[in-house]
Amino acid sequence: MQTFFQQVINGLSLGSIYALLALGYTMVYGIIKLINFAHGDIYMIGAFWGYYVINQYHVDFGVALVSAMAVSAILGMVIEYLAYRPLRHSPRITALITAIGVSYFLENGMSFLFGANTRNFPQVIGQARYTFFGVTITNIQLLIVAVALVLMVGLQLIVQHTRMGTAMRAVAVDQEAAELVGIDPNHIISFTFGLGSALAGAAGVLIGLYYNSIDPLMGMVPGIKAFVAAVVGGIGSIPGAAIGGFLIGLLETFVQAIGLSAYKDAAVYIVLIIILIVLPAGLLGKNVKEKV
Amino acid sequence: MALLTVTKLSKQFGGLDAVADVDMHVDAGELVALIGPNGAGKTTLFNLLTGVTPATSGKVTLTTASGKVALLGKRPSDIAKLGLARTFQNIRLFSKLSVRDNLQAAMTHRYHENFFAEILRLPAYYKKEALVGGWTDALLREFDLTAVADLDAGNLPYGTQRRVEIARAAATAPRIIFLDEPAAGMNPEETAGLRELIEKLRTDFQLTVVLIEHDMSLVMNLAERIYVLDHGKMIAEGTPAQIQKDPAVIAAYLGGGVHA
Amino acid sequence: MQAKWKAALIWLVLAVAGFYLINELIVVGVINAFIENMLVTIGINIILATGLNLIIGFSGQFSLGHAGFMAIGAYATAIITQQISNTLGFYLSLGVGMVIAMLVAVVIGIPTLRLRGDYLAIATMGAAEIIRVVINNLKITNGAAGMYNIPALANWPTVYVFVCLTTLMIVNFARSRAGRAIQAIREDEIAAEAVGINPTKWKLAAFVMGAATAAIGGSLHAVYIQTIAPSDFGIMQSISLLIIVVLGGVGSITGTFVAAIVLGVLDTALQQFGALRMVIYALALILIMVFKPSGLLGRYEVSIKGLLERKGGHHGTTDSHEVE
Repeated sequence: MQTFFQQVINGLSLGSIYALLALGYTMVYGIIKLINFAHGDIYMIGAFWGYYVINQYHVDFGVALVSAMAVSAILGMVIEYLAYRPLRHSPRITALITAIGVSYFLENGMSFLFGANTRNFPQVIGQARYTFFGVTITNIQLLIVAVALVLMVGLQLIVQHTRMGTAMRAVAVDQEAAELVGIDPNHIISFTFGLGSALAGAAGVLIGLYYNSIDPLMGMVPGIKAFVAAVVGGIGSIPGAAIGGFLIGLLETFVQAIGLSAYKDAAVYIVLIIILIVLPAGLLGKNVKEKV
Repeated sequence: MALLTVTKLSKQFGGLDAVADVDMHVDAGELVALIGPNGAGKTTLFNLLTGVTPATSGKVTLTTASGKVALLGKRPSDIAKLGLARTFQNIRLFSKLSVRDNLQAAMTHRYHENFFAEILRLPAYYKKEALVGGWTDALLREFDLTAVADLDAGNLPYGTQRRVEIARAAATAPRIIFLDEPAAGMNPEETAGLRELIEKLRTDFQLTVVLIEHDMSLVMNLAERIYVLDHGKMIAEGTPAQIQKDPAVIAAYLGGGVHA
Repeated sequence: MQAKWKAALIWLVLAVAGFYLINELIVVGVINAFIENMLVTIGINIILATGLNLIIGFSGQFSLGHAGFMAIGAYATAIITQQISNTLGFYLSLGVGMVIAMLVAVVIGIPTLRLRGDYLAIATMGAAEIIRVVINNLKITNGAAGMYNIPALANWPTVYVFVCLTTLMIVNFARSRAGRAIQAIREDEIAAEAVGINPTKWKLAAFVMGAATAAIGGSLHAVYIQTIAPSDFGIMQSISLLIIVVLGGVGSITGTFVAAIVLGVLDTALQQFGALRMVIYALALILIMVFKPSGLLGRYEVSIKGLLERKGGHHGTTDSHEVE
C-alpha cells in the first residue's frame, strides 16, 4: 500500500508535466487541427531558457519560470506566424510536415549552437523530503503538481471567462462564423499558440528541476507522449488533456514499478489503442458523426 | 408483387422520433415518390433503408430471386450489393476521380479481378477491364457523359454532377434506385432533362425508382404512387390525384403548398 | 501495336537502360562507392515510400506506422540469414518477412482502420512502437543492441530490380479494380459504401499491401546495411518516410520517386556541413512545404501511355492522371 501511494505521488508529478504539454497540443489541435510536432521542442527551449537565466543571472525559481513562459509564448507565436500561417489553407498533412520541419530545426539548431551534450539543471531550490506514513514526497514534486494545477485552473479561467477565451472557443467551433461576428482568427490562433507554448515552457523548467538534466532532444519523447495523452483525453478538450496527462503519467510509473519498465512505452500505446477503439474520440472528446 | 416491404420502421434520435412506425411497400417497376415538408424525415428514411443509419426498430424486406432478405442490420455495402442504389441530397461524388472511374468504382462488386492478374497485368486482367470498360462506355452514352468521361467529377457543372451521381447509382446494377432531391438546384431546362433521365431509368434499365422531391410538377407528372411523410409519420398514400385532394397532406403543407 | 503494349515496352526499355547506365557509370568510376551507397538508400526509400503512398495517397488512410512493418522485414531477414546465409536464405527471409508483416497488418488494421485521420495516424504510430518495444525485448532479436554481421546478400542490382518490381506492383494495383475501390473510399467513404464497396475490406487490402512492401524494404535494408537495431525503426523513421510521400505529392508515385531522390541527394550533399546538416535540411523542408504546399509534383503522374495517346491524337481510355 505504501509503494502504491509512493507511485501515485511519482505518477502525479510526471503526469503534471504531460498534462501541461498536452494542454498545448489540445488547444492548437482544437483550433487549427494541426498536430504541432514542434510543441515538445518548445518545452525544451523553456528548459534551456531556465538553465540560462539561472546560471547567468542567478535569478530565483519564480523569475526563471515566468520568464521561460514568456519566452516560450513569444517563440510559439513567431513559429505560428512564420511557418504555419502561410499554410492555413493548405492540406493539413502539409502543415504537419512543416511542424516536423520546425521540430527538427529547433532540435538541431540548439545542438548546433550550444552542443548536443546533456547538462545539469541548476538546483535553485534545495531539495527537501517529507515523509508521511512511509510515503516520501519531495518539495519539488509538490511544487510541480502545485504549479501545474495553478496553471491549469488559470487556463480554464482564461478559456471560459475572458473575451479572448470566448473568441478561442468560437474559432475552434467555426472559424468562418467567428470571422463574421468580428473575431480575427489570426489573432486568436496566435494567442492560442502563445498560451499553449507558455505552458510548455513552464513544463520545461519544472522537468529540469525534477530530473536535473536537460538536452536538445529532451522534447521528442515527452512531446509524443503528451500528444498521446491529449488524444486519450479527447483532443480539443482542455479537461480531457489534463486527465489524459495524469493518466499517462500514472500508467508509466506503475508499469515501471511492477518491473516492466522495458514495456512502459508499449503499455502507453496499448492503452491508447484500446481507448480509441472503444471511444474513437477519446475520453472526453465529442464523436461527431458525418451528416448524410 | 412487393419488391421492398417496410414494416413499422422507426428511428429515434435522442428521444425524438425522426421516423415513426412507417409502413410502405414498393412494387417491382414502380415509380414511387416520397414527399413531405422539410424535416419530415424523408432523408432519414432513405438512410434507414440503405443502411447508412441503423434503425431503432422495424423490418425491411427485399424480395430477391432467392427469396426474401431482411435488410436491417446489414452493412450499407451489402445492401447496395443486394440491389439498392441511391443518390445523396448534397451530391457525394468521388471528386478527384474521373467520371469513368466514378462509374467503374461503383461496379466493384459486379466483377472480380484476380490479385496476381491485376499486379502482373495478365491477360485475364485485360479481359476483365475490357468487359467493365464496355459496361462503362454504354452507361456513359446512356447518360450523355461520354464527352466528360475523363474529367474529374468534382470539376463538372452542378447539373452534370447530378447526372453522374445517378449514372453511378445505375452502375451498381441495382433493382431499386433511391433519388434524394435530384432536381434540387436545377434550372427548368436541367429539370426537364432529369425527367427524361428518370423515365429512362425505368424503361431502358427497368429499375424501380423511389424519389424524394420538392419539385411538385416533377413528382405529380412522374410518380405513380406517392407517400407523404410528416414529422416522421406516414400521413398519406395514394395516386397523385388522390394526394392533391388529401386534407391531411394539405394541412401538413400549411394549407396548400401542393400545386400540380 | 496497342498503346498499352507500347507503353509497357517503353517502360521496360527505360528500366533496362537505367540499369546499364548505372552499371557503366560504376565501371568508368563516375559512381563511386559513396554515390552507390546513396543510390541504394534512395532505392530502398522508394520501395518503402511508394507502399506508404498507396496507403496514404490512394486509400486516404493516414498511417504513421510504416517503420514497424519495415522492422519486421529487417528482423526476419537478419534472423533467417544467420542460419541460412546465402541468397536462398535471403529470399526465403524476404517471403517470411512479408507474410509476417501482412499478418500483423491485418491484426492492427482491423480494429484501427475504422479510426479517421489523425486518430488513425496516432494509433498506427502506437502500434509500430509496440512492435519496436517487443523487438527491443526479445532474445531472438538480440534486444536493444540489435543484430550485426548480417551477410551482405544484396547489392545495388538487387535493390534496383526490387524498386522496379514493387513500383510495378503498386502502380498496377492502384490502377485496377482494387485501386478504384480504395480511391473511392478516400474520396467519400459513405458514397463508396453506398455503391457496394466495403470500406473495411479495401482499406485493409491497401494497408496489408503497403505493409508487404515495407517488409521488402526492411529486408533489403538489413542485408545492405548489415547492422540493424530497434532504434532504426522508431517514430522518426516512419516520419521520414511520410516526409518523402508528402514532399513528392500525396497520391503521386512519380512524386515519391522525385522526393526520395531529392532528399537522398540533399542528404548526401549536406554531409560536408557536419552539425549544420540537419538545420539546413529542416529549413529546406519548411521552405518547400510553405512554397509548394501540395508537394513537388502534386498529383501529377508520368504516363507514357498518355503521352503516346496524346501524340497519336486520339482519345483513348486513358487511366492516367494528368496534371491536376
